[in-house]
Amino acid sequence: MFDKKSYTLYKFHKQINQSFQNKRELLECALPALRDLFKLDRVYFFNWQQEWALLSLKMMCKKEYCMDMQEDISVANEPAFLRQLLQTGIAETTDLSYPALYVLIRWKRPSVELKSGEIRSVLREKVGVLRLERFRKNRVFTPAEIDLIKDLGKEISHNLYNTEIDQIKNQRLSMSTALNDLSTIFASSLRLNDGLELILKGVQRFFQFDRVHLYLTNSEGTRIKSVWGVDISGTVTQESGSSLGEEEKQILKEVFESSATYRARRSIVYIPLKLQRSKVGFLTFDNILSRRKIGYLDFISLQQFASQMALSIDNARLFERVQELSNYDELTKLPVRRYFNEKFAEEIYRSKRFGLSLSLIIMDIDWFKQINDNHGHQIGDWALKSVSKIIRSCLRQTDVPCRFGGDEMVIMLPRTNSEEAKIIARRLKERIHAITLPDRDALEPVHLSISQGIATFPSDGATVEALLEKADKALYVVKQRGRGDFAVYREVLDQLQPEPEEQPAVADKPKDAQEDKQLP
Amino acid sequence: MILWAMPDSGDQTKEDYATWVALFKQENPTVDLTVRVFTRNILWRRIFTLKGPMHGEEMPDLIQIPHYWTALLVKAGVAENLSQLDPGLSLASCLLPLKENCYQPGTKDLYSYPWWFDLSALHYRADHLKMVTDHPEEDLKTWQGLLSICAALREKFRDVPGYYPMQNSDWRGSLSMRSALPCVWSRGISFFTEDRASSLIGTSGFKEALRDYVNLALHDYMPILRERGSLGTMVSGKASMMISRKQGISTFGARRGGRVRTVPVPATGEKSCAYLSGMNLFINAASQHKQDALKFIKFCARPDMQLRYANMVEAFPAFEEPFEQFIASSSRLPIYKGILSSARTLPNMVIMGTVMEILKRVLAVCAEQIVENRFTQASLDRELEMTAKEIDYLLSIYKG
Repeated sequence: MFDKKSYTLYKFHKQINQSFQNKRELLECALPALRDLFKLDRVYFFNWQQEWALLSLKMMCKKEYCMDMQEDISVANEPAFLRQLLQTGIAETTDLSYPALYVLIRWKRPSVELKSGEIRSVLREKVGVLRLERFRKNRVFTPAEIDLIKDLGKEISHNLYNTEIDQIKNQRLSMSTALNDLSTIFASSLRLNDGLELILKGVQRFFQFDRVHLYLTNSEGTRIKSVWGVDISGTVTQESGSSLGEEEKQILKEVFESSATYRARRSIVYIPLKLQRSKVGFLTFDNILSRRKIGYLDFISLQQFASQMALSIDNARLFERVQELSNYDELTKLPVRRYFNEKFAEEIYRSKRFGLSLSLIIMDIDWFKQINDNHGHQIGDWALKSVSKIIRSCLRQTDVPCRFGGDEMVIMLPRTNSEEAKIIARRLKERIHAITLPDRDALEPVHLSISQGIATFPSDGATVEALLEKADKALYVVKQRGRGDFAVYREVLDQLQPEPEEQPAVADKPKDAQEDKQLP
Repeated sequence: MILWAMPDSGDQTKEDYATWVALFKQENPTVDLTVRVFTRNILWRRIFTLKGPMHGEEMPDLIQIPHYWTALLVKAGVAENLSQLDPGLSLASCLLPLKENCYQPGTKDLYSYPWWFDLSALHYRADHLKMVTDHPEEDLKTWQGLLSICAALREKFRDVPGYYPMQNSDWRGSLSMRSALPCVWSRGISFFTEDRASSLIGTSGFKEALRDYVNLALHDYMPILRERGSLGTMVSGKASMMISRKQGISTFGARRGGRVRTVPVPATGEKSCAYLSGMNLFINAASQHKQDALKFIKFCARPDMQLRYANMVEAFPAFEEPFEQFIASSSRLPIYKGILSSARTLPNMVIMGTVMEILKRVLAVCAEQIVENRFTQASLDRELEMTAKEIDYLLSIYKG
């Protein structure tokens, strides 16, 4: 059979022994329960910042409701009060003119310690203080009430601990789910840029950081190659890396040497992305604007996430490298025909849909066979590399050059009519002509030259085959005229002989043996 | 619809909001309105989580904010463009100093709407000051005059336990940047250079201005980190003066305590300057009840409601006509017309809220040091220099 005290304790226990989302919810239940039980006028809950002997008011409960409050009270100059509260867990006020009782509440809260770069989870003691007030009828607290209040304080401590643990478990679960989702998205996206944008936005949104930045470095971790960022509005930016000052190099070194670093009163976190064999980069998360501290749970979760991210970025980089190797010609670094055909299909579709013009230039290096024969294949390769370098530097970002085979190259110029294509062709002609072969044995400098034929969509055809065929015919006229120049198909129609029969497609057409007979 | 609001009336906040909601619902019976009250601290943290709420988390439709947060909310993309929502919404009749902080900086797009505002002033008990001076208003024109009166009052009331010449009006009972602002501006100092590219917080003028204010606590003329209302209040006769907003008078029940008079905050420099603090409302860009929220904004901006709410929370209406009526309603109020003409407000910049948070921390450290007898001017100066660098860095990231 229960005595009265036990029964009160039991009832109180039943009332507050629930699963609360957070400390606030628990207090919103416990403070009114205390108020009703002891017929209090007000109940307050303070956080105790022990190092400053400061009571920070967090919540007040009066007649019918609880309310967040904010007030700091220093008890540094009240040693007797402090001693009594710490020793007995309960103390009566020294300040107020009515009965008020302070009750110490202690509970453990999972926390984090950083020691030489290592993170350790620890249970840190938290201290709170309840203040119970009766100011209306100045009714003092009886010894029996004080005794009961002490026990109820312990019950609240116990529930605060449980709530903290539950809260952390829930947070971790929800974080793991979110990070798992993000990692899955990232891992399934082999295109680095698409994946990074998704992941950075997701991390920012989930953890509610002001900003997130990803610095991608070279594999030695000594140079920043590019920087991705998401700002407070959720806008994603990408910048190429710049050369680093000594201070920045030092920071980079520190970041890679540690496992993770807190900065600026825990409002910034740096986390390195590294694999066993190489460094990938590092992530920074900041709450500089909002001044919110980055919690240790977030800190630990982000670390776990970072290792997955490093692996995924490395995979994506490898994939991109493989893609690059299969899409680009190794000698000239120009795209190969397969890549060109894909791009052409996309561009011709766009041009048809929006009524845009598109031009093709087909070109080859004049007397290329003779260059190889007379100066050697090394010089021939050098000539190809030099010409392709000029091509890459002369074109716009949207233009697509391609090595079609041998010394034959094709350039696709989206949104370009024949007049604009001629400007580009002239520029190429002039710049390539400025190249001289690096042959020390040659008696006088040998200049390179190219011949170019131009065809334009829609006037000259609507398929890659048709356009290439027309461009090739224009190129033929140029060669007939003596090479080193360019021609537009429409403008040289009269110089072309009527076709006796269907010509083979340019891709299959054997190179005209006459073309490469000899240098003039 | 959910409104996140701040405790405008101290302990009476819940009751006041209940009345206000009832009035709104009389006119809009179909709109369901719930008010959640948060302290400024909590609200500051929570506005940063508006964009990415946790699963099942309750999100507000309408939020009350200090006026100088507007630019930040626009930058964060959480505030609805009110000009787009209702092109007819205008600030034509709004008091001039309140207008700038409602727009996205550099545009004419409204993102928050004024609700009410308050002005800082010095309030004093005439009966107390009569004991130490024949010309209180003249003596209280300068900061030096204020300190002299504090010294005289301290001596006069030396036998009264718990007496302080100044009551601390800070909500937290600490040192408050909002109370220190008139000292800064009165010296002709600003927070930023004219082009807003760098901070002036580390300059000697700013340091001296803060020193003026901190002196009140340092000389033990004003209690800090003591329980609000436990000692040094004007109503109990244990304080004689208070620098606060008009609301402070009602919050601490000082009006009942005797003949309280109001004068401009004593000048630390050439002329007195008051701090004008506005309270605005903005609509959460992610709200599903934007039209209802707009109804509430318009309800609060209506002249009769402006007057009513200002009376309720003891602040000022934000629009011209109700403001004039409010001022004319009591002989104690016309002084505020002069105070308003010399008032300044914080600039509408993305980092302004952060700057105030940083300075709040600086003053909190300062208060702890004073209580523990560890305070030195050099330590405050050093803190302000570091703060200036921090703010310059913020300016380099968040322009405008």
